[in-house]
Amino acid sequence: MVRRVLGLTSGRIAIGILVTVGLLAAVGPLIAPHDPLAGTTDILASPSSRHPLGTDYLGRDVLSRLLDGSRVSVLGAVQVALIALVVGVVPGILSVYLGRAFEWATLRLADTLIALPFLVFAVAVTALLGNGIPQAMFVVGVMVSPLFYRVARAATLSVARSPYVEAAVVAGASVGWVVRRHVWVKVLPPIAVALANTTGVGFVVVASLTFLGIGVRPPAPTWGGVLAADLGYLSFRPWAPLAPTVLIMATVWACNLLADAIRDVTGEAGRALLDARRVRAGREA
Amino acid sequence: MTGHLRRAAGVLVRSVAIFVPVFLVASFVTFALRSLSGLSPANLQLGESATPEAVARIEHQWGLDRPFLTQYLDWFGDLLAGDLGQSWYNGAEISRLLAEGAVISLSVAGLALLIGVVFGFGFGVLAALRRTTWVDRAITGGMTVISVMPSFVVGIALVAVFAVGLGWFPSAGYAPTERGFGVWLAHITLPALALSFDTVSDVARQLRAGLVAAYRENYVTGAIVRGLSPRRVFFRHVLRNGIGPALAVLGLKFPNLLGGAVVTEAIFGMPGFGQFAAGSAQRGDVPAVQGVLVVSIVLVVVFNLVVNVVLARVAPASARGV
Repeated sequence: MVRRVLGLTSGRIAIGILVTVGLLAAVGPLIAPHDPLAGTTDILASPSSRHPLGTDYLGRDVLSRLLDGSRVSVLGAVQVALIALVVGVVPGILSVYLGRAFEWATLRLADTLIALPFLVFAVAVTALLGNGIPQAMFVVGVMVSPLFYRVARAATLSVARSPYVEAAVVAGASVGWVVRRHVWVKVLPPIAVALANTTGVGFVVVASLTFLGIGVRPPAPTWGGVLAADLGYLSFRPWAPLAPTVLIMATVWACNLLADAIRDVTGEAGRALLDARRVRAGREA
Repeated sequence: MTGHLRRAAGVLVRSVAIFVPVFLVASFVTFALRSLSGLSPANLQLGESATPEAVARIEHQWGLDRPFLTQYLDWFGDLLAGDLGQSWYNGAEISRLLAEGAVISLSVAGLALLIGVVFGFGFGVLAALRRTTWVDRAITGGMTVISVMPSFVVGIALVAVFAVGLGWFPSAGYAPTERGFGVWLAHITLPALALSFDTVSDVARQLRAGLVAAYRENYVTGAIVRGLSPRRVFFRHVLRNGIGPALAVLGLKFPNLLGGAVVTEAIFGMPGFGQFAAGSAQRGDVPAVQGVLVVSIVLVVVFNLVVNVVLARVAPASARGV
């Protein structure tokens, strides 16, 4: 699947951006040219060779702050996606097999979670359960998990009713065997799409919360925090929000692009893929 | 006509049957948050160094030493009567504080919804009518770009350009309608625009997809062959059958508008619902936070009911499986 996603131009762009952001999160704090917390007298400076993205209102180097803040964003976004995956997929598959009571209860629960404005809830919960990005992301992850629940359930339903699975059951296959052998394969592609989508949501939520100053202690640098610091000095440096904005938007866009690319190479996509191959073959011929 | 009414009533009953358990579960979770948080009004009033006796006395005053279920039933009973209790922070009626903030947030969300519907439907219909031309591609591309812009990014860009740069709109604050309709509108335009981008792009994309799919149906080909005017084909056959997904998305967007309010209100300095939520949360004012959550749940549920009924009225197919 990875190879086929990389076969699409959009897939290569998406993975390229995401790998870059991932690398920033891993080594960003090490390659930052300045101390992201150290203030200087050189406040609100324009970009220069010394400060490629200028400095903020305390004279702190913006590039270093963005590099250092990437780790919080990446970890938070990945956490949202993984928690949603774990919380959503298993009940989604089981809802088809565990009888009507379980099905009814989980469906209602999914309806409930999807109906709640998760940003309001995330803000509320960070305050109540401790001010930290991990707590907030845990809650957001649980609240977006109905996406995985529905996706997994839909895929399982379609598999469970297909003739070859019914044949396997008639032949004496256990539920566990059917899930491992047949269901899992069908559930994986839509899960991969949902995973890419929720990671994008996660980046937006982390950026929103840190923008509000929730979930991190003040001097700690974050993408949203850099943006918030720029907001007060728009009349001096109207171009300043550009760098954090581009960073956030490119990352979210890459997640959505990746989701589309995975959908293209798996779902009806067999078709899209064939078309792409035919086009390429035609060009080379 | 009575048939329409009966069907709408049927949808309403079925939707209520779904949403009542949703509301019960959500309100229980909301209430349980206090016990999970371990916060108490004593933290706010006495600070960290309070003696256990003083803490116990204050918790007794607020009735927090009673059994959990008694507290829940009490709280839920008050809730049904519209009483959300008092703020731990200043003892004010939460329902009153919330109503003040909600007026502001609903003004913004309402305008955002209006912008979302008008432009979303406009772009969606235009793209579907000019499908596979450059107009369609331009709109689809534009909508994709818009969809990845979080509302706070849009908000900051709008402030930088229209408030700070051009000075056309105030950059922050809120003015009630008493100060004049124009003043009110000027204050909520930028926040509403910032909130609406997401709705515009999703509605436009869903509507385009729904309409384009409807144009491929045999009954549309049949209608065109029978010589009906393009206008009649569009309104009678295509729109009614292709609008469903767009309306359903609109229903799902409403929680986003409320959630987005938390961020846009911070940018535009509006003392609305979202600011109240963030402020109360940061102070550890649990009853106020619970009030915010309950009210947002109710708003979302009511909005979904309306969308479901409209959906059943407009697109008959959706009445079969709510």
